[in-house]
Formats: sequence, C-alpha cells, structure tokens
Amino acid sequence: MSATEVAKGNVMTTYAKPLPNVDDDSRPQWEGFKQHKFLLFRCTKCGAWYWPKAFCRNHENAPMFADLEWTEASGKGKIFAFNIHHMAFHPGFQPDIPYVYALVELDEGPLFGTNIVGIDPHQITVGMPVEVAYDDITPEWTLPKFKPVAK
Amino acid sequence: MVKPKYAIVGLGMVYGPYAEGVTARGAEAEAGRLAIADAGLKREDVDGALQLRRTAGGGERPAWADAFPRMLGLPFKFFFTVGRGGALAGLGIATAMGFLDLGIAKYVLIVGGVEDFKNSRRTKAQGQRGMVHSEKAGYWGKPFGDLRAPSHHSFLAARHMYEYGTTSRQLGAIAVQERAWACKNPKAKMYGRPMTIEDHQNSPFVVEPYHLFDICLVSDGAVAFVLTTADRAKDSPKKPVWVRGLGSGEVADELWWEKKNYTHMAVKTAKEQAFGQAGIELKDVDVAELYDCFTAEVLFQLEDYGWCKKGEGGPFVAEGHIGPGGDVPVNTSGGLLSAYHYGDLTCLSEAVMQLRGEAGERQVKGAEIALVTGHGGELISPGMCSIHTSLVLGA
Repeated sequence: MSATEVAKGNVMTTYAKPLPNVDDDSRPQWEGFKQHKFLLFRCTKCGAWYWPKAFCRNHENAPMFADLEWTEASGKGKIFAFNIHHMAFHPGFQPDIPYVYALVELDEGPLFGTNIVGIDPHQITVGMPVEVAYDDITPEWTLPKFKPVAK
Repeated sequence: MVKPKYAIVGLGMVYGPYAEGVTARGAEAEAGRLAIADAGLKREDVDGALQLRRTAGGGERPAWADAFPRMLGLPFKFFFTVGRGGALAGLGIATAMGFLDLGIAKYVLIVGGVEDFKNSRRTKAQGQRGMVHSEKAGYWGKPFGDLRAPSHHSFLAARHMYEYGTTSRQLGAIAVQERAWACKNPKAKMYGRPMTIEDHQNSPFVVEPYHLFDICLVSDGAVAFVLTTADRAKDSPKKPVWVRGLGSGEVADELWWEKKNYTHMAVKTAKEQAFGQAGIELKDVDVAELYDCFTAEVLFQLEDYGWCKKGEGGPFVAEGHIGPGGDVPVNTSGGLLSAYHYGDLTCLSEAVMQLRGEAGERQVKGAEIALVTGHGGELISPGMCSIHTSLVLGA
C-alpha cells in the first residue's frame, strides 16, 4: 500500500504503514476503536461474545444476525501466544523492529490479534495480563494495540 | 479396504533453472506436456483439466488472464481452478474423480504452477520482503504488521513450546533431516548444501521463535499429473500409482472458542477417512510426505498421525527417525523446506516417484504406501492451517 498523507495540525506527515483492511462485517468495530470503545459482537439472548463477527452458536439469530449486536467489552485479557518480528516485511515497520504480534485471550473469551506495546518484547510471557492501548495513527484510524496492565 | 478405482499414470515437473524465463502459466503448460508424455498419451486423449492454486491462504493471486490448457492446446471438456491454501492435490483428485465417474472425462490433467520466487524478487525491489500477502479483503492483521505467513504461523510453534516445552533446537532437527534428504535429490534447491543444527540455530530470526531455516522456500515452476480410472490405468506404460484413500478435516470450528488448534492440525477425521478407505494402519506407511510450510507443522503431524504422542514430537525428531536411514522417512524430496514449494504437489510428486521406484539415491526401498498431506486456508489472522487433506497412495 502506498503511504498515506495525513494532516496533523498544520504539518503534513506521512503514515508509512498499511491501513486496516475493513469490510462491511468489521466496519462498526473500527468505528468503535476510533471512539476508543472496544466492541465485540454479542448475542443479546444468551450473552455469548464473538469475535470476529459470527452467528451465535446457541441461537439461530434469524434473519440476518438478529439478536446480535456490537457491544462494549472490557478491553482486557491475557497473552495466549506471541511472536517477535525481527524483520520488517514492509518498510513502514522497519523503525519498530523488533515488534510483537500476539494473540490476546480476551476476558470475554475470543482470541484477538494485536501488537503488544510498552514492554521489552523479551519480558513478555504467556498469561501476562494486558489491556487495550489505543493508537490514533491518523485522524481516521485508531489501532487497538495492547499493553501490560499496570501493577 | 476399498478397491482402488483411480490411479495417477503420468507426472511432469518444471523446477529450478528449467522454470526460468517462463511464466507460471508456461511452466504449467510444459509440466502438463511432460505428464501426458509420461503417461504414454497424446494431448487429444486428455479431456479435462484442473488448475490447482493457493487461492486463499497464500495471498491474493487472481488466476492468469490466459490459462495453460489453451496454451498447451488441450481438447478439454472442462477446466477450472480448485485449491485452498496448500491443500491442492487431494482436492484436485477428489474433483477429478467426479468427472471420471460421470464419464465426462477419461483422463484428467491436474496442474499447479507458481512464480513465487520471481514475485519475491519483485517485492524485494519495492523495499518489502517475502510474498505480498496483505491485500485480502477483511484481512485482519495487516496494520499490526501481520504481513506474511510467519507472522501468524509462528503462533503454532510458540504455543507448542509453551504447552510442551518444545525447543528451537528440536524444530531445527526437522530442518536438518529434511536438508539431508534434499542433498540426495538433484532437483532440490538445496542439493549439495548440507545443514547442521548449528547452522539452523545461527540462522537469523525472522519471526521469533522461527529462524530463517524453520521457514519453507518459495519457488518457480509447476507440477502436473494425469488421473484416470482403474481399467485405463492397466494400459499405462508406467507403474500406476493408486489412489487408495482420501480424507479431509477442518480446525476452523475450533479457532476462537475451544482454542485447541494451536498445537494440532485437523488430522483426526482426515486420517480416519483416508486410512479407513485404504484399509491401512500407520505402521503400513512407508514414506510420509507431510506438508511442511514451517518446521512445527511437521512436528504437529508426527504427533497427530500417531508416530509419537502429543507433546513428544520434540524429543522424537531430536532422536532422528525422519531423515535418511530413519524408521519414518519424512519429506524424502527435501520438502518445502529444502527442495521446492509447489504446495502439496511437492509431496504428491515425491510420493509418485517413491512408489514407482524412481527416486534415485533417496529411494526408500520397497516403498508401497505413501502418505501425502496438504493444508492451508484463510482465517482472519492466526493459525491459518485450517483444512487438512490426507491422501493415501499405493504402488
């Protein structure tokens, strides 16, 4: 993806990394991130949480995802698995090397793929409690990264 | 045991320098020509063609605007594309069986070509690395730097290490043993380039826990084969390779809720179906051609098929077993890790050569049953290895 020109105050800066790849199923969640709300898909009949968007495993939800809605969740979880990128596959990530991509097991249940920030990658352990740390990368886009929960 | 109804009667490969200077389409056409000749047939005998493509898990790759059967001049009655990630051969055979059963085709040419190495050079010139893998609709991880297969496949290795104490050295033992096979395969990219465990450990981290040598090659070229019915296979000049069992499994349903599929592949149903049809047990498998996009996938399959217990794959491979001279010969071509990456057509082509007794210095003596596996598929971010196909081939 080409770099994106972004106006920040009076200064034009360039966001050099790829932007989210959003479709109609995920758009409400990305709009939530922009407002610093951590939304997951939830069945209003039984309270089960889903991510990514899915029909409830306990209900038919007819027609068309009835009784399911994007609902604010805790934004907290634990590290399930993580890796450390030592090479930048895209030049925009070169300054971040080494960076961490992780699966966070959210308190609501789903596994969520995200970056872990605010910690030396080699200090991260499986099971470590983490919480969402919003990164407003452009005026239009906010990434839901995660950081260790402060002790 | 189900009596085999179908057989592979021709094989063609375009690999290494042979694939230079042509498109994947051209390589597919040439591999197809070789397979038809290998089967003792003429182009006019082939009445159907399938193209195998990693349409999902391998990235956004629209089909060529021009197709290999046109280029080759086949009088084909049908042609279309099948595949899911690296699961190609099993799905292609299952599809072709239907057309053979219906009498629509007598001989089906099944071909898969790639130009991934060429594409990786192109992306490198753009300041990127690896195959561009980031523009799939709805692909989640892109803004977080989850841009290539190791970005999420490495979760599998990381999770196995966490749950069972598996080490990088143990994963390295897989890479080293596959390299030893490649050094017996003159077609292999890494022929003549032996590797030690120290070489593996000293290779740079790409996405930790994966070192460079935990990760498969990318290749240019194509593999083609001809599938036909049992009655026609009897007239084949080459020894027919019988399709004795075919099975499939999926782990996608366990992804977000059960969280189990980070240390196993979807082998259970695939193995039961394929081994059941073939009437075989694990001990009957003479050569195992296991899909090896990364080292941990091999480890998982050794456990999932039952060569060792779950969690004991690390010590098992560290003892040897899978390299030349081992009791469980695995990926005797050198595999995707050290030979060439044509999806599971790497596995299938090697199985055919082994069962025909054409594998030269790496020939497993008396090989009569080969296991060929494939996997891959699209998932929003982690894991990826969703489908698993299990194909039992017999001499």
